[in-house]
Amino acid sequence: MLTKLKHHAGKWTLAAALGLGMASSASAVDLTMYYPVAVGGPLTKVVDGMVEDFEKANPDINVNAIYAGNYNDARIKALAALQSGEPAQTSVMFSIDIYELIEQGAIVPYDDVVETEEEKAWLNSFYPALMENGKTQGKTWGIPFQRSTIVMYYNKDAFREAGLDPENPPATWDELVEAGKKLTKKNGDTVEQWGAMIPSTGYPYWMFGALAMQNGQTLMNSEGNETYFNAPATIEALQYWQDLGNKHGIMPSGTIEWATLRQNFLEGKTAMMWHSTGNLTAVKNDASFDFGVAMLPAQKRRGTPTGGGNFYIFEKSSPEERKAAIKLIRFLTEPERTAEWSIGTGYLGTGPDAYATPELTQYVKDFPPAAVARDQLEFATAELSTFQNGRVRKLLDDAIQSVLIGDKTPAEALDSAQKQADRLLKNYR
Amino acid sequence: MRSSNIKETIALQLENGAAYLLALIWMLPLIYAFWSAFHPSEYATRFDLFAPLTLDNFREAWSRAPFARYFLNTFILVSIILCAQFILCTLAAYAFARFEFPGKSLAFGLVLLQLMIMPEVLIVENYVTMSQIGLVDSIVGIGLPYMASAFGIFLLRQTFKTIPKELEEAAKVEGCGPFQILWKVYVPLARPTYVAFGLVSVSYHWNNFLWPLVITNSVTTRPLTVGLAIFGAPESGVDWSIITAGTLLAVAPLLVAFLLFQRQFVQSFMHAGIK
Repeated sequence: MLTKLKHHAGKWTLAAALGLGMASSASAVDLTMYYPVAVGGPLTKVVDGMVEDFEKANPDINVNAIYAGNYNDARIKALAALQSGEPAQTSVMFSIDIYELIEQGAIVPYDDVVETEEEKAWLNSFYPALMENGKTQGKTWGIPFQRSTIVMYYNKDAFREAGLDPENPPATWDELVEAGKKLTKKNGDTVEQWGAMIPSTGYPYWMFGALAMQNGQTLMNSEGNETYFNAPATIEALQYWQDLGNKHGIMPSGTIEWATLRQNFLEGKTAMMWHSTGNLTAVKNDASFDFGVAMLPAQKRRGTPTGGGNFYIFEKSSPEERKAAIKLIRFLTEPERTAEWSIGTGYLGTGPDAYATPELTQYVKDFPPAAVARDQLEFATAELSTFQNGRVRKLLDDAIQSVLIGDKTPAEALDSAQKQADRLLKNYR
Repeated sequence: MRSSNIKETIALQLENGAAYLLALIWMLPLIYAFWSAFHPSEYATRFDLFAPLTLDNFREAWSRAPFARYFLNTFILVSIILCAQFILCTLAAYAFARFEFPGKSLAFGLVLLQLMIMPEVLIVENYVTMSQIGLVDSIVGIGLPYMASAFGIFLLRQTFKTIPKELEEAAKVEGCGPFQILWKVYVPLARPTYVAFGLVSVSYHWNNFLWPLVITNSVTTRPLTVGLAIFGAPESGVDWSIITAGTLLAVAPLLVAFLLFQRQFVQSFMHAGIK
C-alpha cells in the first residue's frame, strides 16, 4: 500500500515537473514524419530542404522527416512503428491506402483536428478531384501532396513525319487508332516505331481506370465496398485496350513494361505513351525531340484517375502533436511550396492558388505542357481504392494482364475478378 | 567401343553447352547493368558497339546518396551478424550434436521450425521487440533478429555429427575440456562449412532490404540497399543508367571478393554439401 502510494506520488511529481518544464520551454513538440519517394532523383533533398525551412519558421517544433522507400514500404514502416508505440504523427502515404488505414484505426480525420475557420477553409482549398481519394464516410482523411494524373506524351517530330498535325493530338479513341496506324513504322516484319504504348505492368489498374472512365464508367463506389469490374462499359474498355495491340496493331501485343516505357518513348520506339504526369520533368530534361503533352482521349467523355500520395495524421498522437502536424502539413502545401514542388517534379499543383503563384504562372507560360494535367483534373476521378485494397487491386491487375496476353476474353476475366472482389468486400457492406 | 566414346563426347559437350547457356542467362542482368552503367542514358536500352563510354552515371549516383556511409554501415552490419552467428551457431550446434540434455529434441524441433517461417512475416513483431529494447534505428537492431540463425545451427550440427567420435576421445585423453575439444577439433574440421555458411549469410544480409528499411530512420544506420532504393521510382519509371551504376557500386565488393576467392568458395560448397 505504502509503496503504491509512493509510486503514485512519484508519478504526480514527475507529471508536475514535466508540466512545468513544458511551460518553460514554450512546449517544444517533436514530430516524426515518414515520406515515400515515388519519383526518381534527388527529391529527398527537396523534402529535407522544405522541412528545414519549416523548422526555421517554427522553432518550437522539431521535425524528424524520414524517407521510407516506396508507397508499400512506407505503409509497412508506418504501421510497424505505430504498432510498437514508436512515435510517428504524420506520413505521406499512397492515397488509396485510406480504407486500410481507417480499418486499422491508424489515422484521424482532419475534421476532428482543425479548429479555426481558417483551417477549415484550408481543407477546401484543394482541387475537388484530388480530394476524392482522401474523403470517405463524410470526412476528410487525406490532404493531397504528391499527386498526379495520367497524360499522353507524344513525339511531335514523329507526328510531322507521319503527316499529322503536331498541335492536334488525337482526342478520341478512334482518332488514337487512326493516328496510331499512321505512326506505326515497319521495316519488313519488325516494327521500328509503335503508334502508342499504354503500360500494363506496375499499375495496370490505374491505366485501366482511365479507359473505363473515358467509357463513362467508374471502377468502384466512394464507400470503397463495391466494384464495377464487369459492368458492360468496363468490359468494352478492356476490349479496346486489347484491340490496340491485337486488332489495330498500333501497340505491341502482350504486356508493356511500366519501368522502361519512358526510355522507350525517349528513344523513339513509340510515338505516344500514356504515363504519369510525375514524369514530365524527366521527359523534359531528356527528350532530344520536340514533344507534346495532351489530355487522354475520350470515348464517351474524357477521363483519368488521379494518383499519388496524401498526408495523413496518425491516431496515436497528442492534441499538441496533431496541431503541430497540421501546421507542418499546411506549411508544406502552401501555394509557393506546392508550386516549387510541381516545377521540380511535374506533380500537380494541388490547388488553384498554386497555379496563381508568379513562379508557376511563369513556368506554365514558358512550358504549356505543365498545365495539361491541371486542366484535365476537371475530368478526373478517384484512383481504384477499396477495402482490402491490395487484394482487390491484384484481382483487377491479373484480369487485365490475362486479357492482354491473350489468355482470356475481357468478359471472362472481368466476371471472375468481380466475383472474387464481391466475396472480399461482402463484409464491408 | 568407338561409338560409345563418341556418344560420351557428345554428351559431355551437350552438358558443357547447357552449363554455358545457364551461366549466360544468369549473367545477363549483370552484363546489362555493366552496359547501361558505362554508357550515356540514350544507350541504356539500345545496343551500339561504338557507343561512347562514360563514368558520369557513377559520378551522378555517388553524389546523389552518401554511399561511403552506406558502405560502412553495410560492412559493419554484415560483420556483426557474421561474428554473432558464428559464435551462437557453433555453441548451439555443438550442444545439439554432442551433448544429451532433457528437452533436446524439442529444442531442436523449435530451431527447425524457425527455418520454415519467412522473416518478412515477423516484421511488425520484430519491430515491437526492437522498440521495447530501444534498438530501433541502430545497426545492431537490424542484425539482432538474424543472429541466432536456424540455418547455421542446423548446418553446423550436421557437420559436427559427421566428425568421428574417436577424434574427440583422443582429445579427451590428451586432457582437453569440452571447449578445447570444440575449438581444437570441431571448428577446424568444419572450416568448409563455415566458409560456405559465411558466404550465404554475408550475401543475404548485404542484399536484405525490407527489414533494414523498416527499422532504420537515418543515414547513419541505413545499409546500401535502402540507400539505393531512392533511385527506384515507382511512379515515374526508372533512370536505368543511374540505377545500374548505383547497383554496381553496391555489389562491387561482393563481386570482387567472389571472383578472387572463387575456388575456395566452390570447394567449400562441395564439402559442406550445400548446392
